[in-house]
Amino acid sequence: MIYESEKKGGLARKLLDHMGQITQDRHGNLARANARANLARKGAGQSLAALRGQPVGAGERALVIAAGPSIRRQDTLRKVVENGFEGAIIATESAMRGCLLNGIIPDLVVTLDPHVTRIVRWFGDPALSESALADDDYFRRQEQDEAFASEMRANEEILRLLDEHGRGIKIALASSASDVVVSRVIDCGMDIYWWNPMLDDPDEPESITAGMMAENGWPCVNAGGNVGTAAWMMATEVLEKQTVALTGMDFGYYSDTAYKNTQYYTEAVALVGEDNLDSLFVRFDNPHYDAWFFTDPAYLWYRESFLELVADSDSKTVNCTEGGVLFGPGIDVFTLNEFLTATP
Amino acid sequence: MSDILKGNFKTKTVVSVSQGDDPERLEDRFEREALKKLGGSIAFVRKKKVKWADKVDD
Repeated sequence: MIYESEKKGGLARKLLDHMGQITQDRHGNLARANARANLARKGAGQSLAALRGQPVGAGERALVIAAGPSIRRQDTLRKVVENGFEGAIIATESAMRGCLLNGIIPDLVVTLDPHVTRIVRWFGDPALSESALADDDYFRRQEQDEAFASEMRANEEILRLLDEHGRGIKIALASSASDVVVSRVIDCGMDIYWWNPMLDDPDEPESITAGMMAENGWPCVNAGGNVGTAAWMMATEVLEKQTVALTGMDFGYYSDTAYKNTQYYTEAVALVGEDNLDSLFVRFDNPHYDAWFFTDPAYLWYRESFLELVADSDSKTVNCTEGGVLFGPGIDVFTLNEFLTATP
Repeated sequence: MSDILKGNFKTKTVVSVSQGDDPERLEDRFEREALKKLGGSIAFVRKKKVKWADKVDD
């Protein structure tokens, strides 16, 4: 039952306090199991500690490229190509295909989600079949990367791109990654740096994260719930860049996006019904662009978590996404061209 | 007898409804399973950044 007070995003706000537990219920055991399984592949890479403070990209600036809908709508990758960028380019795995297609070779790619079938799609799934596609419309429905709407073609393309360019690209590979992702990363010759995503407070007694560290010896990083924030953590805390710009970090959808094109549409309908979907989406007026965006419980949680992390960061964070719901204290907002053409 | 066993037949054996089959609890379980699918990729831990080594914090 949806109460009147829960309509217009009220349920999403109520869920916010529980998203940590909901996420733990969803992926905690899987992440832990994947980390155990990945112990056998420890020798395929180095610890993330080897990357700490290394001169990745020139100077003290980094550019994070995630895969939100702004990447296409704001023509982000063309701007990067036209202006050039000498600093470190850190891409989420979901943004990798777009980067490579535009001739942008990331200095570091980040992956962490333990999902068994979906994440490998960003790397190209050698075993992808029409029948598997029929069972999961996650990519077809969304705007993250338009080409993924034509899934078999997109899969062949990313397989080819990574086979051509993947060798030697540095990847911060989370111990939580699934067997198929790790196999694909190894097969295309990426330069692996292992890390543990925090599943809980590693300084607490009986910590699961501390247990993982004791087993594999890799550092643990607070990923803030998602790969985009993890990429920002790599820039600020691992590479220790002074200024980090964000692109494709929408944490939400453009106001003209249909609910059915959002990441959790099927699950949202199952939970509250088609008529009550407004309860699960929160609308934001982004004052920097005088435009409305909306977000779902997971993205709302990512936003709030990011605002907590950025408040405690020594780096300067500049959001150049040019849209979305990520704004607030500790985040400067520039256009991407302003950032790219500014004197470092 | 619980509503869940209403029908136009009689069972051969007496069926008792255990606490675990309480309809309200089934609903809770369904909601929990549905909610799980709305979760994020991984945890967020308050007031933590990076822990480089098992013993020594940075």
